[in-house]
Amino acid sequence: MYELFADLGTWLTGAEQWQGPDGIAHRLTEHLQYSLLATLIATVIALPIGLLIGHTGRGAFLAINLSSFGRALPTVGLVVLVFLASGLSMTPVYVALVALAVPSIVTNTYAGMTAVDPEVKDAARGQGMRGHQILWQVELPLALPLIMTGLRLALIQVVATATVAAYVSFGGLGRYVFDGLAQRDLVQVLGGAVLVAVVAVVLDLALSGLQRILFRHRTA
Amino acid sequence: MTRTPRSTTRRSLLGGLLAAAAVPALAACSSGITSLDGQGGGGTGGGSSAGGITIGTANFTENQVLGYLYAEALQAAGVKTKVRANLGTREILIPALEGGDIDLLPEYQGALLHYLDPKAKATEEGEMQNALAIALPKGLQILPYGMAEDSDAFVVTPGTARKYGLTSLADLAKQNGKLVIGAAPEVKKRTVGAVGLKDVYGVEFKEFKSLDSSGPLVKGALKKGDVDVANLFTTDTDIIAEGWVVLTDPKNLIPGQHVVPLIADRAADSTVRRALARLGAALTTKDLTELNRLVDKDKKDPEDVAHGWAAAHGLAEK
Repeated sequence: MYELFADLGTWLTGAEQWQGPDGIAHRLTEHLQYSLLATLIATVIALPIGLLIGHTGRGAFLAINLSSFGRALPTVGLVVLVFLASGLSMTPVYVALVALAVPSIVTNTYAGMTAVDPEVKDAARGQGMRGHQILWQVELPLALPLIMTGLRLALIQVVATATVAAYVSFGGLGRYVFDGLAQRDLVQVLGGAVLVAVVAVVLDLALSGLQRILFRHRTA
Repeated sequence: MTRTPRSTTRRSLLGGLLAAAAVPALAACSSGITSLDGQGGGGTGGGSSAGGITIGTANFTENQVLGYLYAEALQAAGVKTKVRANLGTREILIPALEGGDIDLLPEYQGALLHYLDPKAKATEEGEMQNALAIALPKGLQILPYGMAEDSDAFVVTPGTARKYGLTSLADLAKQNGKLVIGAAPEVKKRTVGAVGLKDVYGVEFKEFKSLDSSGPLVKGALKKGDVDVANLFTTDTDIIAEGWVVLTDPKNLIPGQHVVPLIADRAADSTVRRALARLGAALTTKDLTELNRLVDKDKKDPEDVAHGWAAAHGLAEK
């Protein structure tokens, strides 16, 4: 066991391991690229839905259940399904990752919107604010901490799952996990897994730090 | 302050799942160790199948079919059998065999030899049989190999074969730097793969795409033209169904992969040996391909499929 960790240390710190197209630096960049793009697409889809159902109070049941469907789908199964329909490209990977990220963003945005005190909305209406003004100037700012939490959750899930890109021949840190498993190279598998975990934790900490700075004047 | 109750439940749920996943693995470990203490070790003398035989199989269709075929043949010979299907890969199966959790395992000559001795050079059947007998750990033995063979194949579509004039692996070298190969990730570093193709035939591909092992990904990619050459198994039903061209191997890079029973000494007796030899002599590669098709395409139960074949060939229990 000790030997394994020693090998892992050598693997993670070796200079040659960080260079070249198979190197950690390149794989890490790919991994972040996949994760950020997938989360961005998911945000563009999910945020308006969450805001809309939260603001109108209509369609919440349908939207939340439909989007949660994405969370229930097995990611690898979805990748294979889309792959068989569309061929070998990054599309299957992005479809699966977006499907995974959407539910967290929709539910958290909706939760943030409904958590806004109705009296505050009433007061805004009483001052003559219109629906869209209430949405942008009252509800959205108040819901922002929970929306951010949703984005954070989505990003962490996507980072941890973006390893599936390697399943359909692409890069990212999953390359080490899949290749290591196939080549019976346990150190490589562990190295890949540790890197993914570190990236997820670092991103989570960074985003929660950002959240704290942005909303430090609030008492929730 | 911003964490929702939802996120906490999800986390503890995940923790629960991880714990649940770890329990059977631990249980499997400990049972392996106890049985190793209990009855492993010895077994240099003659074995006996009188107490019944437990057959283990790996995690793919064909191996399960073979496991049930072994069971049919042994039952017909009056041996009690139990099949533990889908146990995993050699990393799990071989220790389980040594530890006494299973007694018998359908194996493949070349793949098993490479697992036991990665530096082995033998590719011819008889040669491999000897090499295997030497390389096997104490307490395990192989029985005579069967006719059926499931070896690696490099295939191209008829269109690609025509376009580049490909009939053998040697022809690939004429198109160096142009073709994309799709295969399981391990094939990139394996002798029976990119390494051997380069060393033996001087083939260099434009790109290596890591997909799966003769599964939906690599076949889908070949069908759609995303890869030009695919690494499949000879018993893959789609090779015939799609009319794909298997490139010949004039320099014998690819080792023979005849099906061979791997058995623990403690369970090997003449009844077992004879029953499995009879099965090996009757089952052809074509039969095995067809049985795979029945399970994979027609969604038949592997046990029923095996029974059907054994009954049709007079090898089932009367």
